[in-house]
Amino acid sequence: MKLGVPREVHPGERRVAATPDSVRQLVGMGFEVAIESGAGLGARFSDADYAAAGAQIEADPERIWAGSDLVLKVREPEGHPELGRHEAELLRAGGRLISFIWPATQVDLVERLRSRRATVIAMDQVPRITRAQSMDALSSMANIAGYRAVVEAASRFGRFFTGQITAAGKLAPARVLVIGAGVAGLQAIATARAMGAVVRAFDTRPAVREQVQSLGASCLEVPLVEDGEGKGGYAKEMSAAFIEAEMALFRAEAPELDVVITTALVPGKKAPLLWTRDMVEAMRPGSVVVDLAAEQGGNCELTQAGEVIEHAGVQVVGYTDLVSRAATTASQLYAQNIVNLVELLGDASQFRVDLTDEIVRGATVLHEGEVLWPPPARPTPVAPAAVPKSPEPAAAAPTAPPSPPSKVVAAPRAGRGWLVALCLAAVWVGLRAYADAIPASPALTQFLQHLTVFVLACFVGWQVIWSVTAALHTPLMSVTNAISGIIILGGMLHVSGELGSADTLLGAAAVFFAAINVAGGFLVTQRMLRMFRR
Amino acid sequence: MGESLLIIAYLAASVLFILSLRGLSSQATAARGNAYGIVGMAAAILATAWAASGSGYVLLALAVGGGAAVGAVMAARVAMTSMPELVAMLHSFVGLAAVLVGLASYMGESGHEGAARSIFLVEVFLDVFIGAITFTGSLVAFGKLKGILSGRALLLPGRHLLNLALLGLALAMLVPYLSADGTSGLIPLLVCVGLAGLLGVHLVMAIGGADMPVVVSMLNSYSGWTAAAAGFMLGNDLLIITGALVGSSGAILSIIMCRAMNRSIISVMLGGFGQTSSKPSTSGPRADTPTETREVSVRDTAQKLLAARRVVIVPGYGMAVARAQHAIFQITELLRERRVDVAFAIHPVAGRLPGHMNVLLAEAAVPYDIVFEMDEVQDEFARTDVALVVGANDIVNPAAETDPESPIWGMPVIHVWEARETIICKRSRASGYAGVDNPLFYHERTAMLFGDALEVMEAVVQELRNP
Repeated sequence: MKLGVPREVHPGERRVAATPDSVRQLVGMGFEVAIESGAGLGARFSDADYAAAGAQIEADPERIWAGSDLVLKVREPEGHPELGRHEAELLRAGGRLISFIWPATQVDLVERLRSRRATVIAMDQVPRITRAQSMDALSSMANIAGYRAVVEAASRFGRFFTGQITAAGKLAPARVLVIGAGVAGLQAIATARAMGAVVRAFDTRPAVREQVQSLGASCLEVPLVEDGEGKGGYAKEMSAAFIEAEMALFRAEAPELDVVITTALVPGKKAPLLWTRDMVEAMRPGSVVVDLAAEQGGNCELTQAGEVIEHAGVQVVGYTDLVSRAATTASQLYAQNIVNLVELLGDASQFRVDLTDEIVRGATVLHEGEVLWPPPARPTPVAPAAVPKSPEPAAAAPTAPPSPPSKVVAAPRAGRGWLVALCLAAVWVGLRAYADAIPASPALTQFLQHLTVFVLACFVGWQVIWSVTAALHTPLMSVTNAISGIIILGGMLHVSGELGSADTLLGAAAVFFAAINVAGGFLVTQRMLRMFRR
Repeated sequence: MGESLLIIAYLAASVLFILSLRGLSSQATAARGNAYGIVGMAAAILATAWAASGSGYVLLALAVGGGAAVGAVMAARVAMTSMPELVAMLHSFVGLAAVLVGLASYMGESGHEGAARSIFLVEVFLDVFIGAITFTGSLVAFGKLKGILSGRALLLPGRHLLNLALLGLALAMLVPYLSADGTSGLIPLLVCVGLAGLLGVHLVMAIGGADMPVVVSMLNSYSGWTAAAAGFMLGNDLLIITGALVGSSGAILSIIMCRAMNRSIISVMLGGFGQTSSKPSTSGPRADTPTETREVSVRDTAQKLLAARRVVIVPGYGMAVARAQHAIFQITELLRERRVDVAFAIHPVAGRLPGHMNVLLAEAAVPYDIVFEMDEVQDEFARTDVALVVGANDIVNPAAETDPESPIWGMPVIHVWEARETIICKRSRASGYAGVDNPLFYHERTAMLFGDALEVMEAVVQELRNP
């Protein structure tokens, strides 16, 4: 049985579907492998390497396409620039093809292949189940994209990623935000961390939180509780309230960030818009945004697919060939994914497309001219943690299909605040009613007015203090100490009396002690606060 | 004219105080918050002085100036490790001032008739009562924190009855006090002050050292309620507002501290934490637990730290006592220069004051963004190579989660034992404030580094400098 590997014709594509190493494995399985001359050059594999691995070098692409029982490719077939024909038409009638296909958007391509009565297995449709991980080319590629995104960002960023203390001064670490903690996002986190940056991540799925933390990054969190886990481990659409909160969070973070890497993709749809123009403008000049969703329309409002633009001093990187920029590694991983898939289909003597196998069934788009895509739906994962390897992208997708109404739970603290408010209000109303019931007494009315003020102040204090960070509890205490020195007013009111009278002297003593408090409390707070630094 | 200006000044001061507390919610805005407080206080004092038309300006200036000078000197001199004492001391001044103001109001009372007089008298009574408790309670807390008094809980037989009796007697003073004419009720009022003072002493004496953060925040709260009571007495809204703010602040802090120890505020107030649990410490570790500890040298500690990729430092009161925070900062810097990821894990009740450890680390210039609360780093110990515990004990005691009979059962603790290795710097094998034995010391991945925290940490710095 003959396998053929044509050269990729897409402009800028440097990957190849087989490496000398994968050829060696395929030959070991009994296949004959033919590879187009120069197919591996972009990934730095020479024809001689392939020949040494046991491949036959073929100069004519038409003979590769027509002469092979199974064609292995990276990019979906497209118009061949030199031959002036569509690659799908080069495939022999009833031939087989394994490559990326993207059947959801490539309707025309699927039709062309159907008319060839082809059997087509799409690498992008391999189900994301545990057993299929070794064939999961999307994860392989996402991994590279995540790595490469950080490399691009670092090379364009005018500062170090790592913080350093040098003889010439201290360098602050770069602050990186990764949106979407799928495979690409997690790799971006790990790479940026390895380079010493301070990394934060955002994802709508609570299940990935631990993964983010295990890489040493912290999670940005939206103060609403909503689970973004959707079908097949992808993120699902979030409620409008959630998206609003998310955008507010991003907006607040933007001025603090040096590098933003967005990785939010929704399969077969336009990428959600997450990083708007004003967020870019809020970033410091010299900052870098890398948009991994550039090809699908971009997560960043300013992204130009395939280009780097500069806006308000911020570079927005919209490369669509990030994976190809690491062509050697990308080819190595992709070729191995293919070898693993071919191994599942069977070696040369018993090769067959077994549609009873879940993985084969899921990935097969066409079988002998019959369209099998989309495959029957699989249930959602039972436990989010059981998702094989956290798959590609995540983040709010305003355009995603309708999903069951999501539960939005307000933070519990607000509930308690309301309870306290209600109780206080009830007490106040009760007292008020009591005061109205008895003959008007100015003293009592006055007392009630004071009580009103008191209750309101308690409430305000209660609301304000909860937000104080634990690290500042000691300064809080010393400042409240100083403030409670307000008792000094009580003393002062008495000092104005007759000199030498008991109440004047007592008042003066009170003023003295309270003044210690006021001065001591404020000064010591100031002293403490001056020490807190980043 | 004068009246309305005063009202405006008071309103401004109230708003500024709220902004001040609000500002303290994050490090970035905290300094501004303090400034708001100062401006608010200045406005209130100046407006009051201006409105009080009288002959007492010289006396007033002397009292304010003298007090401010004393306060300034105290604030400038105090070591950060002595912050708890200072805070306790300042609380006592508020209490004392409140008592004095109350007495002065009583002595200078005039013009109240009928129901108004009764309300006023009760307000005075409440003010001096709370003020006296705050005053003596804070003094005892000060003594305990300073080490003048024993940190152990003093548990008199029938102490709850005693408290009730004191309270009842003090309240009973209301009867002769209210029925007296003019200022002749002074004697019962003073008796009440004395009884409240005794109550304050006894309440705080009965609370163990480990509960000090709660006590200090509780007294903070009391000092606020005292000011609020004075506000009622004087019909001054600013005092009421400020007192209420401070009172809620202290109350919330107490609640936070209690939660951090998994104890109810009632049980803390009733005291006895440090005493009832003394049995395990005297009888030693139980038979079924291993008793061998593994010791580690300073040199090996430095090696382990250098070999680590991530180090989490857990400071405790021992660090404060030994003043080892500067040495620890040097260790942090040296490790960070060598690409070791260093973080600090702070237990909410570490130290003797809420946020005490944060202040000490800040004093030593440890950047606050590597200082985390317990919950923030709890999950990260599994990928931590070395957990370095300096002068902490109860807050890293796994018995709180494993031994239902342990007195600290249920208290949230820092999971240092999940790290690849835990090094505990400790003066001796003795148990912590709670008097509970710590199985962590006998854990197979735990190494003990015995010695004074300061000396040991400085030795580690030397090793790191010249490995």
